This record gives sequence, C-alpha cells and structure tokens, in this order.
Amino acid sequence: MRAREAGGAGGTRRYLLGAALIAGPLLLALFGPLLAGEAGPRAVSFTPGGGHWLGTDFTGRDVWRQILLGGRPVVLVAVAATALGYAVALPLALAAALTGRAWLEEVLLRPVDVLIAVPTLLLVLLAATALSPGPVGLAVLVAVAAVPDIARVVHAAAVEAAARPVVEALRLHGESWSRIAFGQVARSIRRTLAADAGTRLVGALHLVATAAFLGLGVQPDAADWAVMVDRNRPGLLLQPWAVVVPALLIAGLATGTNLLLDAALHGGGRKGTRR
Amino acid sequence: MTAPVLVSVDGLRVAVDGRALVDGVGLRVRRGRVTALVGPSGSGKTTTALALLGEYPPGAQVRGTVAASAGPAGYLPQHPATVLNPARRVGVLLRDVARRTGAGPAAVEEALRDAELAGVEGLLRRFPYQLSGGQQQRVVLAQALLLGARVIVADEPTTGQDARTKARLTALLRALAARGTGILLLSHDLGVVAELADEVVVLDAGRVRRCGPPSEVLDGFAPVAPGRPVPAVPPARPRPPGPARLAVTGLTARHPGGGTVLHDVRLVLRAGECLALVGRSGSGKTTLGRCLAGLHSRHRGLLLLDGAPLPRSVRGRDRAELAAVQYVFQDARASFADGRPVGGQVARAAVRLRGLRGPAAADEALALLAGLGLGPAQAARPPAALSGGELRRAALARALIARPAVLVCDEITSGLDAATRAAILGRLAELRAGSGLALLFVTHDLSAADVLADSVATMDGGRLLPGPAGSSRSGDEAP
Repeated sequence: MRAREAGGAGGTRRYLLGAALIAGPLLLALFGPLLAGEAGPRAVSFTPGGGHWLGTDFTGRDVWRQILLGGRPVVLVAVAATALGYAVALPLALAAALTGRAWLEEVLLRPVDVLIAVPTLLLVLLAATALSPGPVGLAVLVAVAAVPDIARVVHAAAVEAAARPVVEALRLHGESWSRIAFGQVARSIRRTLAADAGTRLVGALHLVATAAFLGLGVQPDAADWAVMVDRNRPGLLLQPWAVVVPALLIAGLATGTNLLLDAALHGGGRKGTRR
Repeated sequence: MTAPVLVSVDGLRVAVDGRALVDGVGLRVRRGRVTALVGPSGSGKTTTALALLGEYPPGAQVRGTVAASAGPAGYLPQHPATVLNPARRVGVLLRDVARRTGAGPAAVEEALRDAELAGVEGLLRRFPYQLSGGQQQRVVLAQALLLGARVIVADEPTTGQDARTKARLTALLRALAARGTGILLLSHDLGVVAELADEVVVLDAGRVRRCGPPSEVLDGFAPVAPGRPVPAVPPARPRPPGPARLAVTGLTARHPGGGTVLHDVRLVLRAGECLALVGRSGSGKTTLGRCLAGLHSRHRGLLLLDGAPLPRSVRGRDRAELAAVQYVFQDARASFADGRPVGGQVARAAVRLRGLRGPAAADEALALLAGLGLGPAQAARPPAALSGGELRRAALARALIARPAVLVCDEITSGLDAATRAAILGRLAELRAGSGLALLFVTHDLSAADVLADSVATMDGGRLLPGPAGSSRSGDEAP
C-alpha cells in the first residue's frame, strides 16, 4: 500500500536544480551593478588573465565587470515584457471567454489573430529599425509580440473553465465580473497560466537576447550579456570566457526557469483535482 | 458466501491532517456478489470505495491493506459526465478503451450489449452531453466492461434517476453480477440495497458499525423499512393560493446544437406553492429550471416575476431579480469553488445579493448551515473535504441566504441519507409556510414530491403535462 505525498523526492530535486541554475544569473543581474565598481583602465583586447579574472573583451575592458553590469538589461526587459504581455492578454482573453456573445468574442480576438500571423522576430526587427527604441521600447515591442500567443492560450483554457457550474453559481449570486474572471476562472486555470508564463519568459529572454545580438535597442558596446556574446565572437579562440560565460548565464536562466515551473506544477499538480 | 474473493480491504485507515476519514474498515468483494456500503453522508463510503481503485485524497496518510487480485476495477461515479471526455464522441471514447486492451469492434458491440446500450439510435456519434444521465452511466459501465474490469464500484448509481431508469439499472447490475462481476454498491437507497446486495457493510463516522446479509443488517439500521422512504414533513395542505410570483408563458428552448428541448411550456408558481416536476431523464426538466434561473437563455418565452418581465439571462438581471429567483445545482460539488471554505462561499452570496457586511453575512451563513446540520467545523472546510450530502446542504444554504421568492431545486434530495433528506425537506416546508417561498422541485424522488408538493407535473419530451408520470404517456428513450 502506498501513501501519496505531494511532490516527493523527485520534485524536491527538480526544485533544487532549477533554483541552483537560476540563482547565479538572477543574483548577478539584480546585484551585479552594485558590485561592479569603477571602470579600470583599458587593457589589450582579448587577453586571458593579466590581472583580469575572466580576461578582457574586444575593447580591452574587464569581462567580469561587464558580466556584473550586463545582466540587468536582458533580464529586466524580458521580465517586464512578459509581465506587460500578460497584463494586456489576460483580461482580454478572460473577457472573450466569459462573454456569452459570439460576436463580442470575435471582436476581441480577431485583431489578435491578425497579429499572430506576423513572425515575431520580423515584427521586432521592423519596429526596432523604424523606431530605434531604448530598453523600455524594446520591452513594449516584445510584449506586443507575445500578446496574441498568450491571449490564444489563456482563452482556450478559460473557455472550458468559464462553462463550469461554479461560474454559473457565482453569476447567480451576483458576483462581480473581476471576481469571477480573476478569482475563479483565472485561478482554476493557474497551472496552465504558470506553464505558459514560464515558456513565455524564456521566449522573451531569447527574443531580447536575439535583438541585442543583432544590435537592436542597445548600443554596440553596451554592457549586455547578449551583446557580449556577439561582439566577443572574433576572439573566441584567444579568450573564450568573454563569450562562454554570458552564454552560459543566459542558458542557465532559461533552463532554470523552466525546471522551477515544471517542479511547481508537478508538486501541486494533483491537488484538489479529484472529486 | 464461498465465492472467491476479488478484493479484500483490511484495517483501512485514511486520515487527512490527522482527521480520520475512515478508520479500521474491512470488507470483501466477491465474484458474482454485490457488497453494499451504506451509511449517512460523510461516513466514509466514497473514501473507502476510492481506496479500492488505489485513489486517496491528496496528502492522505494511509494504513491497512487493499488487496485486489482481480486486476483493474471499474468505477461508476455519481456524476458520470465527469469521467467522460466532453470533446469526444461516444464511439471514440469506447474505441480508445478497446484499443488499449487490444479488443476489436466486436468487443465494443458486446460491451454495448452488456451495458444495454445497443438499442440507442446514433449513440456512437453523440457527444456525452447529448446523452441523458442514465445513458452516460451505461457508457461508463461499457468502458469498464471493455477494460475487462471484474470488480465494479458503483457510487450512488440510482441517485437522481427516475423509477424506470432505476429499475433498469438495478436489473443491469444484477445481470453483471450473475455473469461473475463483483460489485461494490454505495447507496443511500435502502430499497436498491435490499434488492441487490448479498452483503451489507454499514459505515458510521468512518467505522464499520455492522456487517452481514441485508436481511439482518438493514432491520433497524434506519428508521425506515427498506424501500419505503421516510415521511419527513407533515403535509401542510390545504393552503389558500397566494399571489402568482413567477409566471412563464410560451417557453420554447433550444440547445446550442439546434435541437428543441422545451415546447411551449407555461406554468405559474404562486407564493408558498410547490410544484414538483418529474419525468424521465433527458425530458427537459433541468433545462426548464435553468431557463427560470436565467442560466439557459436560448429560448423564446416570457418570464414574469410578480408581474414584471424578468430578463432571460442571468447577466441581464439586477441584484433584486437575481436574489428573487435562486437555483440549487444538481452537482453541488461543481457549484462550489475549489480550495475555499464553503461557509465563506455561502456568506459571499449574502454580501453580493443582500448587501450585508462581511461579519453579518458570515454569522447568518453559519446559522443557516447549522440549521441544515452543518457545524462551524464543516463550514470552515473546502469542498474537497466535505461529502456529497454535506455539499448538497451547503448549496441549498447558499441559495436560501439570498432570501429568494422562487427557488428551483434540481434533484436536491438524491443520494442523501434519510435523516439529511428529512432535514432538507423540513426546511423547505418551513420556508414555504413561513416566508411564502415558491418552489419548483425537479426530482425523481416521487415520495419527496408527494410529501412536499401541492401539485406534480410531468415533463415528457419537452412538454409539460399536468399530473404525475403514471398518468401520462411514458416516452421511450429520450435523447
């Protein structure tokens, strides 16, 4: 006879691994700029060592200092873009799912469907070339690119949740729209939302990194992990750290986020679903 | 009792947060026999039955043994719709199961025949929601048979069924047992238990009280002889007819698919009046109730509340109109939000509909729940920690706290033990006499209708006919 425990040993391991992967990049991104200190004198480009812990980059700056400074733009823009995308898409999709009127559902979701047809990177590239945005503009662009996908997923999950008797009961008891939408429908699909938010964040991270890699929204010599990967490529064989370390940090952040969400979903996945 | 044992449960204890749901339960399911599990709601019947399937509540501490030598057990839940994928047609649902066991179309045919579904026209092309409750139940049964289940756990299978469907299901279960399936029957319906069971296990507060053949155990178990429901309420008739609260004319409703469910229904509910609505499953009873409550707005028809037109949809109704017409869902569990205390959800209805402040609403909710036999401890639990019968009462409390003028009750006495059922019927009778509550009582429970209702109407193929079912044409298998 087996007694079921929520989570279990596998879940804990997954939590720890995810947390370990995410901790380094996240701490660097958040607190790195505080520790960076003053810029030292420039040295020769692409020297390994020579008083520089991780060597120097293509302009002879200290790589460690660049890493300390370069996380914040990537991570902040990605997180802000995901949050903004959800802030727009979630109410839109819930409104479409909860309205009983087919025409209103169409009006709310059709424009979004048009956007979905445009490749995300193309959209960001075009807009970035035309508008040359800063970090805030980039976050908005990435968010706009994510809204259609988020709205689609949330709507699909919410339609089913909105048809349950509990929603009818809440309507019958005069509950407000926001309580029904956020307190009941969004809450009952929170696992789907969490899974989607995880992939969305990683997607935004990649998009921001790609944009930076292509030189959009950032200066060509900015302290930015993605820019570092791009600019230091020529010296890869002379001084690998300037490319490898920021690349690993971005990869660790993406993998760790997914592992953590995965563990959270598994841990709570079976709770309260049985009747 | 020498038939081979298929499942044996010994010393089973399932506890959640230190509170034992069942404690020291033992029972046997034997080949070709029916073992019945009876007891008041909350006594641990469902917990025990689910243990046979290897299912436990989340975070449960389990002791004891469940030994199943017979392979997978089939489960026939109280609400069969919850285990049928709503997006797939019946034919696909059955073929999927058949494919898993490597069975061919012949096996599907056979399972349909064994579950007595073979005669239903176009069944395989329908979606689960296009079937009546009884038909859904038989589809689930057919799935279990296809899986080769030699043990079937039937959880309140006759709950909410009309007499004919009930008799048919009883015969079906007996036929299955005769073919060698072991059946564990959970039921409040002592008539069905007496008729089917070879062995009865009586649970009370998670422990086995008595155990043995039905003739010994059922005598004196309840204040009712098997098969004869309790006369709960002194009939309060005759009563002078009150003013008309709700009048319905020309109600013709359709399903989203296009089929017409109700044909030109007209009815009047007066203050203090109770109209019992009976009829076969699938005849449109629930749809009529939902139309009145504004949950089914796809209809042509005029609803008048105290002479003023009532918006068709719940969305168009203001607070007073919402409060005036309340509805108690048949599936009480699905009508509560997961993971939140039930008492708070009851109180919330008073906050929204009557503008009470939080603490006052909470006090009133607790008082109302206590009147229906649910203490503060139960009110503080989330729906998952309450039994079906407890939730049924909480759902009634949630509708009553709005102080409705008209209450639509959909099968609210089904699957309840005699005492709970009497408490609910008593409460409704009080409210009718005291505050002039008008009731539309949708039910299969003819004895409850007898006790509570002034008049009985029968729904037949979407038409409302006066009088109880016997006096009208009893239709064949309605879709």
